[in-house]
Amino acid sequence: MSIAVTSHSGPAAAPPPEPPTPPVNYLNVSHTIWSWLFTVDHKRIGILYLVSISIFFVAGGAAAGIVRLNLLQPDGAIVSEDAYNRAFTAHGVLMLFFFLIPAVPAVFGNFFIPMMIGTKDLAFPKLNIASWYVFMIGAVCAVWAVLAGGIDTGWTLYPPYSTRASQSNVIPGVMGAFISGFSSIMTGLNIMVTVHKMRAPGMTWGRLPLFVWALYATSLIQLLATPVVAISLVLIMVERVAGIGIFDPTIGGDPVLFQHLFWFYSHPAVYIMILPGMGVISEVLTCFSRKNIFGYHAIAWSSVGIAVVGFLLWAHHMFVAGISFYAALLFSLLSMLVAVPSAIKVFNWVATLYRGSITYQAPMLFSLGFVVLFIVGGLTGLFLATLGTDIHLHDTYFVVAHFHFVMVGGMVMGYFAALHFWWPKMTGRMYSDWWSRMAAAIIIFGFFITFIPQFVMGYHGMPRRYPNYPAEFQFLNVMSTAGASILGIGYLMPAVYLTLSLFFGKRATANPWSATGLEWQCPSPPVVHNFEHMPLVVVCGPYEYALGVDQLGRGLPEPPGSQDDPAHRDGVTGPAGPMHKETEVVG
Amino acid sequence: MTTMNMLPLIPEMASDGARHFEALFWYITLTSSAVGIGVYIALLYFCVRYRRGQTTGSTPRILGSVRLELTWTLVPMFVFLTYYAWGAMVYNKAVHPPEDATEIFVIGKQWMWKAQYPNGQRVIIGGNPRNMSESERQSIGKLVLPMNRPVKLTFISEDVIHDFGVPAFRSKIDVIPGRYSQVWYQPTKLGEYHVYCDQYCGTWHSLMVGKIKVVEGKEFDEFLSGYAPLQGTQNAVDGSLAHEGRQLFLKLQCINCHSATPTGKAPVLEGLYGSRVPLKGGGAEIADDAYIIESIRRPRLKVVDGWEAIMPAYDETQVSAEELNAVVAYIRSLRKGTTPDRTERFPAPNGAPTERQQSPQPSGGK
Repeated sequence: MSIAVTSHSGPAAAPPPEPPTPPVNYLNVSHTIWSWLFTVDHKRIGILYLVSISIFFVAGGAAAGIVRLNLLQPDGAIVSEDAYNRAFTAHGVLMLFFFLIPAVPAVFGNFFIPMMIGTKDLAFPKLNIASWYVFMIGAVCAVWAVLAGGIDTGWTLYPPYSTRASQSNVIPGVMGAFISGFSSIMTGLNIMVTVHKMRAPGMTWGRLPLFVWALYATSLIQLLATPVVAISLVLIMVERVAGIGIFDPTIGGDPVLFQHLFWFYSHPAVYIMILPGMGVISEVLTCFSRKNIFGYHAIAWSSVGIAVVGFLLWAHHMFVAGISFYAALLFSLLSMLVAVPSAIKVFNWVATLYRGSITYQAPMLFSLGFVVLFIVGGLTGLFLATLGTDIHLHDTYFVVAHFHFVMVGGMVMGYFAALHFWWPKMTGRMYSDWWSRMAAAIIIFGFFITFIPQFVMGYHGMPRRYPNYPAEFQFLNVMSTAGASILGIGYLMPAVYLTLSLFFGKRATANPWSATGLEWQCPSPPVVHNFEHMPLVVVCGPYEYALGVDQLGRGLPEPPGSQDDPAHRDGVTGPAGPMHKETEVVG
Repeated sequence: MTTMNMLPLIPEMASDGARHFEALFWYITLTSSAVGIGVYIALLYFCVRYRRGQTTGSTPRILGSVRLELTWTLVPMFVFLTYYAWGAMVYNKAVHPPEDATEIFVIGKQWMWKAQYPNGQRVIIGGNPRNMSESERQSIGKLVLPMNRPVKLTFISEDVIHDFGVPAFRSKIDVIPGRYSQVWYQPTKLGEYHVYCDQYCGTWHSLMVGKIKVVEGKEFDEFLSGYAPLQGTQNAVDGSLAHEGRQLFLKLQCINCHSATPTGKAPVLEGLYGSRVPLKGGGAEIADDAYIIESIRRPRLKVVDGWEAIMPAYDETQVSAEELNAVVAYIRSLRKGTTPDRTERFPAPNGAPTERQQSPQPSGGK
């Protein structure tokens, strides 16, 4: 199936003629390197983030490759124990602090929040570019730590190992995470203020796209939790450098204190990673099924609910660390409660498809992949939140598989869905439909082969972070490595076809997916101040696909894949006026 | 590639706790899979049924349904709460040991587990031999546990955080420096089981592994009494009954006369046990338990030929019957050349810190 750019684009063999002078947009308004490095345009900053985190994704993926290849044999196939420990730490630190946390908020949040709420820029453009510089300084520290020999503590940096025993580059690594945390705070602050103060007329909270709701909830966590990890990282450095006893009991500290401080950030941080992905899915599923989202308010408030409850359950990482019995009871209960809003979202997404008119372009495939993998990730989380099962599964490969299902199966799929959904808007080019759908299929398949065996290994007790293991685990490890190879190929494919699309892709129209959001109202790629004609007045909810109108009440172009059936849009042409009726229809 | 061992469907269950775990685990697995598969079926059905081409293209404007949403909020919450309640019960059992549990102490150290039994017997449960002293290497063995009897393990770490995980018992506990943590088991199956370190602890984290051996209760008692080096170390007497006897032998000052450098006061006891002892005034006696005990309680009754009757008697108030057993076990274990020197000091008790800071002695003379 080829993507029809507009309903009147004719056969795919005849590309639309190139205009003699391309219109001025944010990409071609100036070309010097300085115009990029000193830009305050949120879209350019988004692109800067996109380029940088893509590099870290590749680097973190390479470290994961070393880990998986080494596990081909029970006694370690390719590297020494030390090198292995450094590889999995590099994988964890790069992927978490320099890919997963900034990925959606810093790239797509930066790029699309102003456009989705109908404004010219974020509230603090200079703070925005500063956040990229801060992020890059942190990244340089972390990369330096890796290149200068690596860190072997694991990304969790548990003392007293990290403060006393480790002979590796803990200080620069911790420094990197610490500094990049400020970037996270700045981005969160910027998004929150923007959403509060700069919405277009008529863009009420009840008309905000769910992606904006999700990023708003994310920003709340970034703003409130990141300082805590900053404190705990500073304390690590203080203990390591000055020998002041904070976590090391031989000099008067308490190692469990660190775990409380660390997880008080790092548990909410997993919601920094997954919530934006959930926001993306809400956008994409509605668009490609041409349906209003089912239960807008439930999804919006479940984002906020996850953000708030997410602060209250950090100690479920310590069920076997000798915390008190009653604390364990409480934290287990709260962990159960956070599963409820996640379940609500999944049910709502599935219900959204009911009686839709669904097409399967790449963003939709990635989103469905998200839902399928997130269900596994979410349900297996229940085993770890339940006290009686956690005492065996804790710190085994079961945990590894669980959080990869959520973080990689969920978040990275959401990221790829976002990338494919908004790529035409960001670059003005369409990518290969066939190759992108192929990539989505390969990634989902490779993912299952990689991580399902790890659940079995964990259930049988294989501990995490082992370069050597008993021989009976070999079969499953080999299977997992094979899956990881497929997954790696799947992740490399978009790099190729997306890059090619920049040079050879068809030009994208303003609204290639026929979506309702305000971001599709500006040209592709957007002009410098996003919209050619400000101000916009929003009259509709975010997902009026059934009525065939966008948020400004204008008729939608023909959706891709429906040129064979143009009759169904009869009756909705041109501005439709205010029609935001909150009619509840029982599904 | 050589053939690889396949894992069984359900890993070995060797304790009471493992059964509780499995029941709960499969309850969660089955219920959550049912929900998950139900959602998958709905998803697949919608994706096929409502794909474009099958539909008119127009979609109904469905905004939501309060009734449906309440249902799928409350029902999962109720199911999750059943997981929680059952899980709390299993956890309650797992973290509260019974009063009568035999207590074993385990110290975690990069990268080995050092265990000590209530009688002082010690064993290293495994770890990386490259990182051990010679005597530690000699003490590598297995943690022996009795069948069907509760055992409480108390842990502490010498350096960084470790974790003592026993998959066959479905049990795991962090071993933390500066605080004690506890776990208990009631093994239900004879055999040998893996012990893993589950908390990352540095270079040889993955080699900090060992074995637990579950034996019959009777065998366990014999092992504790020091006669059966069950745990497989080459250094089985360390902490055994004989070892305890040796400490008493030194403490009671027996060594002053029965020393390896003869002072002419008393015979050397090496090789005594089981030998034929000529008695003063004729006759002879086999040096068995009874004779040795008698000679300690009433030393002048049967004096060995060629020695003066100068040994004092030790009654129950000085040496209990139990302690006598230990001393006999020690004498029985004495081989040629193993009598300690007279100057040997009373050794520090087992498990005492090996490095002790020298505190300055208050010296009033200066």
